[in-house]
Amino acid sequence: MKTPAICIAATLISLSAGAAWAQGAGPTDPQIAAIVVTANQVDIDAGKLAKSSSKTKSVREFAERMITDHTGVNKSATELVTKLHVTPEANPTSESLQKGGDENLAALKKLHGGAFDKAYIDHEVAYHEAVLKAVDTTLIPNAKNAELKALLVKVRPAFEAHLEHAKKIQATLSKSGA
Amino acid sequence: MARRQILKRGVRLAAGALIALGLVASATAGPGRTHTVTIENMQFNPPELTVRRGDRIVWVNKDLFPHTVTATSKTFDSGSIAANASWRYVAAKRGDYAYVCTFHPTMKGKITVQ
Repeated sequence: MKTPAICIAATLISLSAGAAWAQGAGPTDPQIAAIVVTANQVDIDAGKLAKSSSKTKSVREFAERMITDHTGVNKSATELVTKLHVTPEANPTSESLQKGGDENLAALKKLHGGAFDKAYIDHEVAYHEAVLKAVDTTLIPNAKNAELKALLVKVRPAFEAHLEHAKKIQATLSKSGA
Repeated sequence: MARRQILKRGVRLAAGALIALGLVASATAGPGRTHTVTIENMQFNPPELTVRRGDRIVWVNKDLFPHTVTATSKTFDSGSIAANASWRYVAAKRGDYAYVCTFHPTMKGKITVQ
């Protein structure tokens, strides 16, 4: 099944490949700020839906973690851009992330039970893999401001741990035949 | 006479030295040694720590979101430690205590209480 996970992954892979940017130019700091905030917000929104819709404890707990952790990251990101007087600037990547997030929510809303859990967790795995790749290949290398770069470096381990956590749940869901 | 005085002084000196030694010993081995474990980048640092009974361990959360310090045996459980907050625990019983962050199952640590 072609899920929104694949769309979002495609968006981020194209971002990491630099396809979304003018030749030789990566995103600017205001554009990176918008990408970071949107990426976190999209995952918070999916988490809110999963927390209220899933019947599986491990999935609900994971969803709650995504809401809390990504909210924490966005709080710091917002504080930093305010301090630096950087206004996040929407760009094709942040817009495409938002679109992918909206499509994911719309698709999830049609699903129930095991199908919902599987689609949500599969998306979380693809999402965190894609975000990690974008952080490594595009966002960190292009960030000009040292504090913005430091924030990206600081949040990277969280994305990595979330990915491992999501993969663990994915394995138990497939074992239980969901 | 002189010999007795020397002996007395010797005894006093020895007693003084013993008291001084005792003070030093109680300052280093007594209760109240504090160890710090930093929680940062989704890791406990140091991940393994050996302490003496009665020592205090403080976990400081430097990540941007909450973590827990929860012994797998349930001997101790911090509950949620907010970003920039800390939690302290006095090691009461000897043994090895593996612990995790219940929020993030990839985070593991160990305390050995001697």
